[in-house]
Amino acid sequence: MWIYKKKLEYPVNIKNKDLRMAKYLVTQYGGPAGELSAAWQYLNQRYTMPDEKGKALLTDIGTEELAHVEIISTMIYQLTDGATIEEMEAAGLGSNYAQFGMDLFPSDSFGNPFTMAYIKTAGDPIANIESDMAAEQRARATYEHLMDLTNDPDILGPLSFLRQREIIHYQRFKELRNYYLDMQTKNS
Amino acid sequence: MYSYQNKNVNYYNNNFNQPLYTEDASSSKLYDPYQGFIRGNMFPNLYNAYKLSQPLDIKPMNEQEQLLMFLDALSFATIDINLYLDLYQNDQDMIALFNQYRIEANRLRTEYEKKYGPILVDSDASNTYPWAWDNRPWPWENK
Repeated sequence: MWIYKKKLEYPVNIKNKDLRMAKYLVTQYGGPAGELSAAWQYLNQRYTMPDEKGKALLTDIGTEELAHVEIISTMIYQLTDGATIEEMEAAGLGSNYAQFGMDLFPSDSFGNPFTMAYIKTAGDPIANIESDMAAEQRARATYEHLMDLTNDPDILGPLSFLRQREIIHYQRFKELRNYYLDMQTKNS
Repeated sequence: MYSYQNKNVNYYNNNFNQPLYTEDASSSKLYDPYQGFIRGNMFPNLYNAYKLSQPLDIKPMNEQEQLLMFLDALSFATIDINLYLDLYQNDQDMIALFNQYRIEANRLRTEYEKKYGPILVDSDASNTYPWAWDNRPWPWENK
């Protein structure tokens, strides 16, 4: 089960409305390298991990990714909060307004809806963990692109935090992968 | 084996692609919870800045936000050390550090909840009338 902690992992206090950045950021909510996709990829893979290390790491990183879904969602909410219909249209978000009003919707930055087809699983722990390492690298690269697109410190703070978490997760997945490879070598 | 250098100025220092040996990690070499928190990383040998010349400080606007910031930092320290310990279950010093921060975080959470209402619905701070769980602010609200 999961328990809700009524706080963010990292605070988000965006003072300036910025529909342009909201439109880009949404990909880290519902895009191919987004947090929703990462969370479900890891939480889905954990059941068949070969030992306790893998089960623990995938559970804990998957759980942390759910907290990152909340951070990204909060950023999108605050970046669009109080926007007028005219402002939404001018930012190319008229279609979002037509379909969803001011609600959030998990999509990539082109508007393609989130799909579970993004998540990878292959019935093999090495293949699975290497897909997780790749997911972390793609998310890291996306965060760098998003950081390139703004100079607002209120946006850069959380983006930088999230980017750094990808680096840590990548490192832990790599250590787990290497550990399993060593075990395979010893057992063969 | 690997010494921490401040490479913040280089945007493309992909040091996370170098063979880093976290086995080398020692609890005494970690950032303190606040410094780790603002970097998103407790492990100096894994820190890699991008674009920012230095990590951005959290700027609490009032006492509530300040208390939350300290709680966030301690809570973050336990999250990051937890991931490390999942792979290195025999690191006694790191387990001690985890528990030190866990106890401090729980103490701060209780202090925060007494003043501002429950963070966890099953905390003692939920024993109130009227029901306090639905009090503002929700985590995504900043107005």
